[in-house]
Amino acid sequence: MANDPIERNQFLFRGIVYLCGFLLFWEWLRPLDQITDTANMAVFVVYAAFCFFLSFIHLPWFFTIPMKLIGLAFVLDGLFIGRRFLSGDWFRFVYDHIQYNIDVMVANQWWQMTPLFRSMLFLLLLWLMSYLLYYWFIVAKRTSFFVILTIVYVTVLDTFTVYEGKGAIIRTFLISLIVMGLSSFTKEMEKESIAIRGRRVYRAWVIPLMVVVLFASVIGYAAPKKAPQWPDPVPFIQGAVNGVGGSGGNAIQKVGYGTNDEQLGGSFVQDNTPVFQAVADGEHYWRIETKDVYTGKGWIRSSEGNPIEQPVANDINLGYFNDAVKREDKVATIAMNDNATFSKLVYPYGIEKVSNSEADTLVINPTTGEIIPQKNGESFQLNGYEIGYAQPSFSFSQLAESGTDDPPQIDQAYTQLPESLPEQVRDLAEEIVAESSNRYEKARAVEEYFQQNGFEYSTKNIPVPDEGEDYTSQFLFDTQVGYCDNFSTSMVVLLRSVGVPARWAKGFTGGEQIDTIEVDGELKNVYQITSGNAHSWVEVYFPDVGWVAFEPTKGFGNHTDFYIDDTEEDDEESSEVDENLQEQLEQNQEQTPEMDEQDMAGKTDESSGGGGSFTVPTWLWIVLVIVVLAILGLVYRYRYHLLAMYYRRKYIQNPGQHNYETAYEFLLKVLDKKEDLNRSSGQTLQEFAHSVDDHYRTQEMGQLTYHYERLVYQKDSSKHPWDKMSELWENLIKKTLS
Amino acid sequence: MPQQTYLAHGKVHDLFANIQSVMIGKEEVTTLSIVALLAKGHVLLEDVPGVGKTMLVRTLSKSVDCEFRRIQFTPDLLPSDVTGVSIYNPKTLEFEFRPGPLLGNIVLADEINRTSPKTQSSLLEGMEESHVTVDGNTIELKRPFFVMATQNPIEYEGTYPLPEAQLDRFLLKLNMGYPSAAEEMQMLDLISNDHPINRVQAVMTKEELIELQNRAAEVYVDPNIQRYIVNVVSETRRHPSAYLGVSPRGSIALMKAAKAYAFIQDRDFVLPDDVKYLAPFVLSHRLILNSEAKFEGMTSEDLVNDILQKVSIPVRKEK
Repeated sequence: MANDPIERNQFLFRGIVYLCGFLLFWEWLRPLDQITDTANMAVFVVYAAFCFFLSFIHLPWFFTIPMKLIGLAFVLDGLFIGRRFLSGDWFRFVYDHIQYNIDVMVANQWWQMTPLFRSMLFLLLLWLMSYLLYYWFIVAKRTSFFVILTIVYVTVLDTFTVYEGKGAIIRTFLISLIVMGLSSFTKEMEKESIAIRGRRVYRAWVIPLMVVVLFASVIGYAAPKKAPQWPDPVPFIQGAVNGVGGSGGNAIQKVGYGTNDEQLGGSFVQDNTPVFQAVADGEHYWRIETKDVYTGKGWIRSSEGNPIEQPVANDINLGYFNDAVKREDKVATIAMNDNATFSKLVYPYGIEKVSNSEADTLVINPTTGEIIPQKNGESFQLNGYEIGYAQPSFSFSQLAESGTDDPPQIDQAYTQLPESLPEQVRDLAEEIVAESSNRYEKARAVEEYFQQNGFEYSTKNIPVPDEGEDYTSQFLFDTQVGYCDNFSTSMVVLLRSVGVPARWAKGFTGGEQIDTIEVDGELKNVYQITSGNAHSWVEVYFPDVGWVAFEPTKGFGNHTDFYIDDTEEDDEESSEVDENLQEQLEQNQEQTPEMDEQDMAGKTDESSGGGGSFTVPTWLWIVLVIVVLAILGLVYRYRYHLLAMYYRRKYIQNPGQHNYETAYEFLLKVLDKKEDLNRSSGQTLQEFAHSVDDHYRTQEMGQLTYHYERLVYQKDSSKHPWDKMSELWENLIKKTLS
Repeated sequence: MPQQTYLAHGKVHDLFANIQSVMIGKEEVTTLSIVALLAKGHVLLEDVPGVGKTMLVRTLSKSVDCEFRRIQFTPDLLPSDVTGVSIYNPKTLEFEFRPGPLLGNIVLADEINRTSPKTQSSLLEGMEESHVTVDGNTIELKRPFFVMATQNPIEYEGTYPLPEAQLDRFLLKLNMGYPSAAEEMQMLDLISNDHPINRVQAVMTKEELIELQNRAAEVYVDPNIQRYIVNVVSETRRHPSAYLGVSPRGSIALMKAAKAYAFIQDRDFVLPDDVKYLAPFVLSHRLILNSEAKFEGMTSEDLVNDILQKVSIPVRKEK
């Protein structure tokens, strides 16, 4: 850049400091792909590096801003836009996106922002950060603030999320030591107005600095260290929160599909990790298994049933529906995500056939509903398979007219309830179904019950029942806030209380439709099913129909197909029923669209692994960062006001020599920030006080200075009346800050 | 920048008022002369004739009840004319020492640059060492001992400019300057009858003066201030326009002067302001500018002021 050796050296120093700034900033980006759903992190890092580089070489703005904009467009193009780069079409596409997203933002529907727009905001944030760090590191030469922020950031993430910050903290320390050493060196040099000349300075400063840093790091890394002196704060904090709530331990769990349901309850955090993709005609429940025994705390099985082993090629018959149920043959394709581990198949109701070349045998358990693929006698995960199924549709009249003669084995297995079940649950069940004339109406009445009566859907602050407390009773009478497990378990228990056989089904909801593709000339939807779609619902037995799924969870729609058959219109009663059903049907359909974004469900037990984890969608992340930056900005902007308040309190509470000193020094600092008042280093305090008093037309600074001089230059100033000056100080600081 | 001096100390105030009754204006020179007197230093007054240099010294010596001597330096003046000489006394058959003018309390060395270096150095030795050597005998000078030397900066013909090493021995170098028109009018008015110097009465005794000198030396100088003094002085050695910087003797002189200056303001500690104010008077005659700076018309005072702008003032308590 410059031929002058001094300038060249300065340039080099700045370069190293700024590079360290970038490396520190990188530490902020590293965890994002783990703790958020941000993908393609490398691209963002490269863009950040690009911005940092352009900020550093300090070209005129009319060059750098277009460069950065083009870079931004290029990244967005590579990630999202398939059109010809910077063509008219391209701009229209981007423009439409931006317009849509601005509408969405105006409507406060943040979650609907498109990935392109979110990425664009993120890139802009990177751009801004490159400026900010340039200012901090090069112009203001204040590195320690960002260093501390970075360390706090890494440690917080390490403590509270899945992010493993061990490497990050070592890197951060190394870089921080180097950058702080270098910047204090340049600061020192400037203070003493010594130009950095030649290699001598390197030998005298930089090499020892590097050696010390490396030595300290190696020692720090290799030396034996004590175990953590504090317990892991996460369980502690949760314990403290629960202690306040008084509702027992409820470790936060991560949402997802799990097999152990013996102990239900507790909060969980959202996780949008994809589990599988399904190609199907419409949304289905993706069923995995059912459970039959309610223990008062959760679900277990009475027996493992009688699994049937059969070749894959054979038809599957779970025997859930009577022949009278109308069906429609369909085909769905499942593609499991790489990191999902499922030994059981997920399938829609009415499964008849599984096509897959890998497995040779299927172990089918009609009792539990589990279907386990095997190869050479060992179960394994099928990564992709096609399911042929006959989707059942239930006629309302059929359901309404279904009798109550349950087969004994059904009645025995599916009306079980624990003896400890509080009587008030049974009473409530009786009350709910009091006006229902048939089983279908009873089921609907219970299902409806949750839609009203103040129940709320939430995954947060959900208690685990205490010892001796019943899970459903706690939900029905105490909290009335919960998620699918609360709703579905309670419905099963309520139905069983009035003698209706019901069981608890688990699996996934239909997922989010992400695409439409053409298969064999037919348009099919592609659904993305994530851990967050894990769900539980209710199956009710109707003797003449079979098992029918119901959806009690508030905010979720029933995926089961119902229809009104017009063959029995002459029956007055049934037509009345039909009208009710029609209404309900409409309700169901209305509900359906709601659920896409709200699919929540079951959980896996992760709390025992030490610390929950937590994932935030990118947009929320960006908003959070912006909010945090805004708050930091405000604090920075008003830092002197805040500090003035602090020093005032401190001084008034304890008017002594020391506090007077800090207060006066603070005053100097504030005055220094005033452009027309700042003290040159060769100006004495009296001269300065004189100019300040001239400026504000007061005597205060002179008086304050008179006393401060005694503090600094006199031998023994302890007998001074320090408490007299607070008013002077306050007056002056008010004038200064106004 | 003439600072407001409080002269709060009673005796010092009386002294100042006494001198001011004769000298019209000239508060700064008066104050600084008192500073030098209390710091046990000596003053070099440099200015054209007739601006009141001698009058100042005479008034000062009259105000302090002590012995005033005056030496008019001429090219043919011998060292023995300054220090005194031993003369053979035929009655006692012994050499008797007859003290020269240097053996007074307050000595006015008028036009010091007119005499030969040999004679100059006899004066300067006395100033620095507080004793003189005559015929191999060491003779202690009186206490208090205060020399005010004057020199005329205009006439160079037939002069022997004082070398740097000897200028170093003066605590302060002052310029009188001309009085303002109003002051001059006032002066004429004052002189018209009887010269006011004839009415001047002593306001303090020798003993009192020594007492004040001792008390001035006890003024506290914070390490902060000492560092500031050292920084200022060492900066003169580094300054690009300086050919020769100020010696450590300059640091000592600056501190002594600052103490006395703080004392006459009735303060028992030194402020950076004291140092900053005194630095041009204490330092400028102790350094030599290089030829480029001289060519550019820079003066030593400019150099010192330049340094004072740059050296940072200690404003925080040393921890």
